[in-house]
This record gives sequence, structure tokens and C-alpha cells, in this order.
Amino acid sequence: MSSTSSTVARRTRVYTLANPRKSTTLTLLTGLFALYCLLPMVWLVINASKSQQDFVSSFGLAFGDHFALWDNVVQVFTFQEGIFARWLLNTVLYVVVGALVSTFLAALGGYALAKHDFIGKRVFLLVVLGSISVPGIALAIPQFLLFAQLGITNTPWAVLIPSFINPFGLYLMWVFTAQAVPDGLIEAARIDGAGEFRIFRQIAFPLLAPATVTVLLFSFVSIWNNYFLPLIMLKDPAWYPLTIGINQWNKLGSTAGNGELIQNLVITASLLTIIPLVIAFLSLQRYWQSGLALGAIKD
Amino acid sequence: MKKRHLAAAVATVATLVALTGCTGGSDAPSGAGVPTDTPITLKVWSWDGTVKEAVPGFEKLYPNITVDVINAGSSTDEYTALDNAIQAGSGVPDIAMFEYFSLPLFAIPGKLTDLSEFGAEDIASDYVDAAWGNVTIDGKPYALPSDYGPAALFYNQAVLAEAGVTEPPATWDEFYEAAKKVRALGGDHYITNDSADIFLLLSLIWEGGGRPFTVDGSNVKIDFTDAGTTRAVEYWQRMLDEDLVNTKVTGWSDDWNRGLNEGTIATQIIGSWFTSTLPERAPDAAGDFRIAPLPQWEAGETSGSENGGSAMAIPADAKNKEAAYAFLEYFTHGDGLQSRIDAGAFVPNLSNLDDETFLGTTNEFFGDQKYNEVLAESSKNVATGWQYPPFFGWARTSYEDVSAPLYNSGKGTLADVLETWKQRSIEYGNEQGFTVE
Amino acid sequence: MSQQLLAPPTPAANAAPDRTSLRVRRRPKVGLLFIAPFAVLFLFVLIIPIGYSAYISLFQNKLIGGNAFVGLGNYIKLFNDPQFYDGAIRVVVFTAIQVPIMLISAIALALAIDSLRLHGTKFFRVVVFLPYAIPAIVSTLMWGFMLGIRYGLIGSLNEAAGTSFDPFAPETTMISIGVMVTWGFTGYNMLIFYAALRAVPRELYEAAAIDGANEFHIIRHIKLPALRGSLIVTIIFSIIGTFQLFNEPNILATLVSNSGITSYYTPNLYAYNLAFTGSQQGYAAALAIVMALFTIAIAYVVQIKGMKNVLNK
Repeated sequence: MSSTSSTVARRTRVYTLANPRKSTTLTLLTGLFALYCLLPMVWLVINASKSQQDFVSSFGLAFGDHFALWDNVVQVFTFQEGIFARWLLNTVLYVVVGALVSTFLAALGGYALAKHDFIGKRVFLLVVLGSISVPGIALAIPQFLLFAQLGITNTPWAVLIPSFINPFGLYLMWVFTAQAVPDGLIEAARIDGAGEFRIFRQIAFPLLAPATVTVLLFSFVSIWNNYFLPLIMLKDPAWYPLTIGINQWNKLGSTAGNGELIQNLVITASLLTIIPLVIAFLSLQRYWQSGLALGAIKD
Repeated sequence: MKKRHLAAAVATVATLVALTGCTGGSDAPSGAGVPTDTPITLKVWSWDGTVKEAVPGFEKLYPNITVDVINAGSSTDEYTALDNAIQAGSGVPDIAMFEYFSLPLFAIPGKLTDLSEFGAEDIASDYVDAAWGNVTIDGKPYALPSDYGPAALFYNQAVLAEAGVTEPPATWDEFYEAAKKVRALGGDHYITNDSADIFLLLSLIWEGGGRPFTVDGSNVKIDFTDAGTTRAVEYWQRMLDEDLVNTKVTGWSDDWNRGLNEGTIATQIIGSWFTSTLPERAPDAAGDFRIAPLPQWEAGETSGSENGGSAMAIPADAKNKEAAYAFLEYFTHGDGLQSRIDAGAFVPNLSNLDDETFLGTTNEFFGDQKYNEVLAESSKNVATGWQYPPFFGWARTSYEDVSAPLYNSGKGTLADVLETWKQRSIEYGNEQGFTVE
Repeated sequence: MSQQLLAPPTPAANAAPDRTSLRVRRRPKVGLLFIAPFAVLFLFVLIIPIGYSAYISLFQNKLIGGNAFVGLGNYIKLFNDPQFYDGAIRVVVFTAIQVPIMLISAIALALAIDSLRLHGTKFFRVVVFLPYAIPAIVSTLMWGFMLGIRYGLIGSLNEAAGTSFDPFAPETTMISIGVMVTWGFTGYNMLIFYAALRAVPRELYEAAAIDGANEFHIIRHIKLPALRGSLIVTIIFSIIGTFQLFNEPNILATLVSNSGITSYYTPNLYAYNLAFTGSQQGYAAALAIVMALFTIAIAYVVQIKGMKNVLNK
């Protein structure tokens, strides 16, 4: 059927829907926005290549006298007895476990919201929204006290458990599920005798690929950049995620006292922490390209 | 070890031994009841990086004790963490670091251990008077001083020379004149910067004999109208009015680093600990900086004040107090002190301030000046009798809010700002259960 | 099925004839099971702490004399607190301006990228998302430089053009913060819209093409409606998030002087300072709860209006 329509299309336009004419104007306009996005990052890359001395004495967007990127990287990994590598591993742990679990819970929950009814659905939604409206700052100490009662502060669990909740992810999955999973399919599967969870796993979930990947990616980034709650929960540098560690390095030089000034390391470390995120993004990208729903809704 | 230092160390040990009447183990100086058979892990919270230098020596003396030095955050971050830990009843460290002005906040509600039960009062005279005064609250020592920050004048001699100032200003009047000459260099040149830095203002007030805060138990009196305070406030007001101070650069910011580096900020009135961090902030000015004593209010005087500095205390809820005090004494007063000094710590221990090696230290950044001579002198000259209000952490934030209109848009005067600050502090303090007037 | 394809597509395209939906919906126990894992953790991580927070908001904390029960005293104090209003109004105005700008840009970008009419689609997708990946401390450092008037980019531009524009003067600081926040979150929202667009069945486009629709018709009748659900969600969450503005003012206060950023610049910053430097946890908790109630009132209105279709099933 598809080929027929594109043949028809070809009669009225030179290009097809799947491969339309590229617009230079649009590209330029979008390019302006891309510039807005990239400029600070260019700053990051340029300054990661400067030694501390060059950083203080040179213009922000110009290179320093001495190209020190490799030196900086080595120093980042050896400073304070190589704690950076430990922080990196911690962050990977928090992110991988946290993102997978929270996305899975959000998908389950979103599916329930979109396709099932249950008692207290409205109240539930209200409560969820209400809870995330409370500034996290005010909750940090109560959460700390609660976790302290359970003896899990200063352990990875104190960072992981809060990260399993992703209300935004829940809402997204709800909306996407409502949009992308037709009731008819579920119906058909039920008639065929499939169990509810199997329906979720084999029918709904594959259709939700772009949504799940989006939520996964967001979860990945937000846990990666998680700062405030881990700061309150953790007091042992051995369990810090990268954000706290880098922030501590930055504070060394920016609070009154005789802490070391290692802005070059802070910047290089920041650059290093972005790389895994970029890689994650690039590798998950292809899920947006898959032709969705198409195959499923056959007459 | 230098003879004098060795003598001091021996004296300390002898004092401790005599005090406790305990002959202890063969090698270890005896602290009363420091367990030597059970394994103990001491948790020390410190953002001062030199403390860990003292650990190996101590662990050798007490093989059953392991010391874990952790950076649990700087300043407020650490105080928050400590409060959280105390509230939760778990995770309280055995030793925690405090800036001098934040000690009362923890000492007054009883969150710190009175160290006189470990004989701390016997070592009081080993310190500069003002430093010991900082750790004494209601007549009892709640901490041992671990580093010190007498205010001094760090100046870029090349820039001053360019402006026609050949000698560092010895009085505040001379400083004022020098400020005008530096400003005349044009562009962004200023003699110094001030963006509502409360410590700067207070160090001037303190030096001049002003005592705006009087603390007696939980009674606090605030008065910015005494002679010493008024003199300093009027002086600084004039500096602001005549645009002699850069109000657009905040200390510890990137702009500040660059200003020092290129010489558009010619001097800093700041604590002695600045010696270790200035070289990394102003590498291009290497060889140009020198240190001079704080300018005086009257020619010939030798007064001084502090700008920062910290102490180490033992929380009341700590588990291993004897062992903690043993280590605390070790690295702030005993054999562990030297390793910290070698790592760059500036301490108010008289044994060090009189030590020849220390006094002879030079650094090419400061043009091979024997700068510790100046700093040791400054330490001893710090005027006594200064008190911070117990809620200074809050007051500090409040000061930033209250002074904003003056520094942002020149509205009002410094005296007005202080008056508003006083009113707010009275309100806050009374709410908090103190009696403030 | 073909019936559905030709009907005006809406996200509630599966708001099909009621007979079908009734059969789909009536599985309450299953629904509970699916939502349970999330709900249980939610109770533990958020509800209980909020409850505790509400409890401590009834107390006043004194440094001397411990905690005193004051009932609604903190709330009364809050309603008379000019610093609270200062921050609250600021944040509301900021949200009212910044959120529409950000979301409209995000939609425009999503449409642009989805149209496949850009050279280098993949490049744009990554680049636009990158700002979100940068932690707040790093991005504030970067922007601090970019907008610095002494050594920053703006400084150089000012020199070149002979102007003296200061992005961090008290009057302009909020605009600069707006620039930073938009930079950080537009890509994030764009991806959500993009994912929603990607979920539109291609057959709809083909059908529209057969009917002779041009690009604009497609956008207006297929793509924009397809964004409805995600738009509601992003509006709600952007409002919630922006009301809680904290990171940028907190970090900027230490980077730049004379920016006008006070300790009560935003309600969240005020709560933070109250709790962590002022030792007034009870008051901070009261502030947080009032802000939450206010936020949720607005967010709920948006949700009700927007999700009428989905909720009423």
C-alpha cells in the first residue's frame, strides 16, 4: 500500500514524504539555535586544554600558550589518589541501575494509567503532582532522617532508592502509551488468551520504544547530574557521584581559605563526564528512527 | 626537629603525663584512658588538606587506632552535615573542623565537648592569646586552634611603584593616599576590591578597637556606635564614596583571580593563609607580591585582627573521645604539627611562630621576602577581646542582603547598612531564644 | 481500522466507540498491580518525608531552647513576610515568560527536525540535547564567563561596540538566568515532542498526501494535535520545575557581584538559606508546603483542562 501512495505522491511532487527537499533556510535558522547550544561547550573544550596558569591569564575563547589537555586528563585521574575513577564508577552504577529501574517502573505505571482503571487513580495523580511540587530542598533533611533510621545513609542505596522514582517519566509513558498503543491490539490479545503482563511485554512495550528510550535517556542524564540529595545523604568521598566530587574540587578554590585552585581540572573533569552522556545519546538515537506502529495496525 | 620545637614537644608530653598521672605505654604519650588494645577508627571531618599529613605518625604511636580524614564539605556544607548527623543520631564524626566564628553556634547549645576535661587548658599559653580566645566560650575551651589568619596587607609592589607608591602604606591614611594614586593609573586599576565583604570590614573594626558584639552566655549585645567601629566605618565609607575600591569584583571569583593576576587589583587585606593560594591565582605576578603588616590607625601602633582561621572540636556525641583528643592534640599541638606546617598550614602556636626555620621561609613568588616574619609578628599583635555573635553564619548571609543596595546602586550609607543589620539580627536572635539587644 | 485512519487524528485516537473501551478498562486489580511498584516507592521516598515536613512546619526551631510548637504560626509569619513575596512574584513572572518561550522553541525545533528537511538532522538532534547533559555547576561557570563584562565574551563585545551592557546588573540578571535556563532545557523538551512526533503513524501522512494536504496542513492537523499530550505534560512539569528555580541564582551569587541576587531571590533559595544557614527548618518547611500548594493548584488546573479526555475514561 505504501508504494502506491508514494507513486501517487511522485506525480505531484518531486520528493517523497520520507525524503523531502532539504531547506537551507530552515537549516540556517536551526543552525543559529545550534550555535546558541554549542558556544558554551566550545568554551569547555578550549579551556580543558589550558593549564591553570593559562586559564587565569588568557581570554576565555582563545587557546592558551601551552596545549595541556593530555596533562589535565592525567591529573584528573591522579589527583587525590585517583578518586576520580572511583567517582566515575559510582556514577555509572547509580545511573545504570537507577535509569533501568526507574524507566521500567515508569513504563509499568504509565501503562496502568493509560490502559487500566484502578481505584484512586485521580487521587494518585493529584498526589504525585503535589509531591513533586514540594521543593526538594525542603525534603532533603526529612529524607535523610528517614534513611538514617534505616541505616542506609552514606551507602549507595541512599542515592539509588530516590532515583527509582521518576514522576516525569511516569507522565510521559502515560501520554505516549495512550497515544501509541491502540486499544484494539490489547483487546485482540486478550481474546487470544494472553496474560496481562505478557500483553504489556510483547505488545505494548515494543510499540513504546521511542518513548521508553526517551525516558531512559532523560533518567540517565538526570541521575548522572543528580546533586543535592546525594550531597545530603553521602559523607564518604568513596561513594560520591561525579557531580559532588567535581563540585568539591571547585569549592576548594572558590571558598575563602587555602584550598587548591584547580579550575583546569574541574573543567577537564566536566568535559570527561559529558562524554559518556553523548555516547549514550548517540547509541540510543536509532530508536527514534524505527518506523513504529506501522506493522502492528494491519487490517 | 629544631631544638626549640623539640623542647616544646617534650614539654607537652611531660605535661600530659604529669596531668594524668599515668605512665602509659612505652612509646605513646599517655592521654588519660586512651585505649591501646581495642581497635578504634577515628573519623575526622576536615576540609583543611594538611591534617592527613599527621596521620601516619599518629598511627605509628597508636597501632590500634586508624584515622580516617574525610572532606565532608567546606564550611556551611560541613556544618549542615554535622547537624544532620547529630539529629539522626548516627554518623557523627569524632573530630570536626570549624571556622572560629561558627564555634559558638555549636558550643552554646551543647553540641561540642568541653575539652578542659582532657587538660586542654594547660596548653592555652602555647598559643597566641587571640587564637585561644577564639576557642574559649563561656570560659571553657571547646576546640583547639588548627590554623590561623591574622590580617595582613598583600601588595603588588610593581603596581604600587608604577603608581608612585614606593613603600607599603603603614597607616590607613597612607593607604587612602596610595588608593588615589593607584586609581589615577586609570582603567580598571584599584588598590583593592570589596563587594560587601563582611570579614574585611570587621577586620578593620577589630583592629581599631571596635567591639560591636558582646556575648555573655546567651545574651548578645550589638552596637556599631563605639569609637573603634565608627572610625573604621567612616573610613571605609569614604573609600566607597570616592570610588577608591572596586565594588564590582567579588572575592574568590574568576574575575578576582584575573584582577590579581594582571595587577588591576593591587592589594588584598586578607588572612595570612592567603600565601598558599595567591601564587596559583596570580601566576603572572610572580615576584611582584610582598606582604606587609596591616596598616595602623595611628602611626606607631601595633594592633592587628583576624580574617578567618579555623579550629578543630570534638562533637558531644562522638564515640571515642579520649582517642579523639589524643589525635586532636597531636596534630594541632604535638608531634604531628610540624608535618602540617611543612605542608603549608599557618598555625598560631607560639612554638612555631618563634621557630627560626619557619621565620626564614622564603618563596620566589614573594620575591624571596622572609614573609613569615611579618606574619608571625601580625599573629602576635592580634587584639584580644573580639567576639562573634553566636548566630554569625546566618548574620553573614543577612549582611549580603542588607548591603546589596549600597554596593549595587550606591543607595544609603555603610552606617545605615550596619544599623539595619543590627535590627535584623536582634529580631532573629530573639526569635532563636537568645536575648539580643 | 481504516475508519480510524481517516478520522481527524487526536492523541485520544483510541477514544474509540465506548463499547470497546469499556471492555479494555474494566481491570482494576491489574491496574493496581502495575502501578504498585512505583506507588510503594513513591510513598516511601516522597510521601513520608512530606508528611514529616508538614509536621515540622508546625514547630519553631530555636537555637536556645529547642523546638517549640507554634501551630500555624510559621504560616502566619510567612504570609506577612515581604521577602517571601519578593521571591514568589519574581518566580511567577519568570515562569510566565520563560516557559512559553522555551516550549514554543522546543516545538519549532522538533517540527524542524521531524520534517527531515534539515541538512544534518542527526547533528542537530545531538547538539540541541547536549546542554541538558551538562551539570549545573559547569554550565553556570560557562555562562558566567560568556556573560562576564570584565573578562567575558560580553565584555569583548562591549569593547568592540562601545557599549556597556551588563547582563548581571540587578535589572538584567533575571534575563540572563532566563537565557541560561532556556539554553539548558529547550533541547530536553524538544526531544519529548520529537518522540511524540515520531510516534505518529506514517500512514496518516500518506493519507493526508493523498487528500492533497501541504506541509502546513500536515503540521496543523496531524503533527500539532499529536503533540497535545506531551505539551500538557511539559507545561505542567516546566511550571513545577521553574517555580523551584534554585541552581542558577545559588551559583551565580558567588560568581558575580552586584547581581542583585539576595538570599531570598527565589522561594526555593530562601527555603535553602532558612534551613541551612538560619537553622529555621520549621519555617523553611512551611514555605515549601505553601509553595507546593500554590504550584499544584496551577499545575492541576492545567492538567484538568488539558487531559479532560484521558482522565474521564
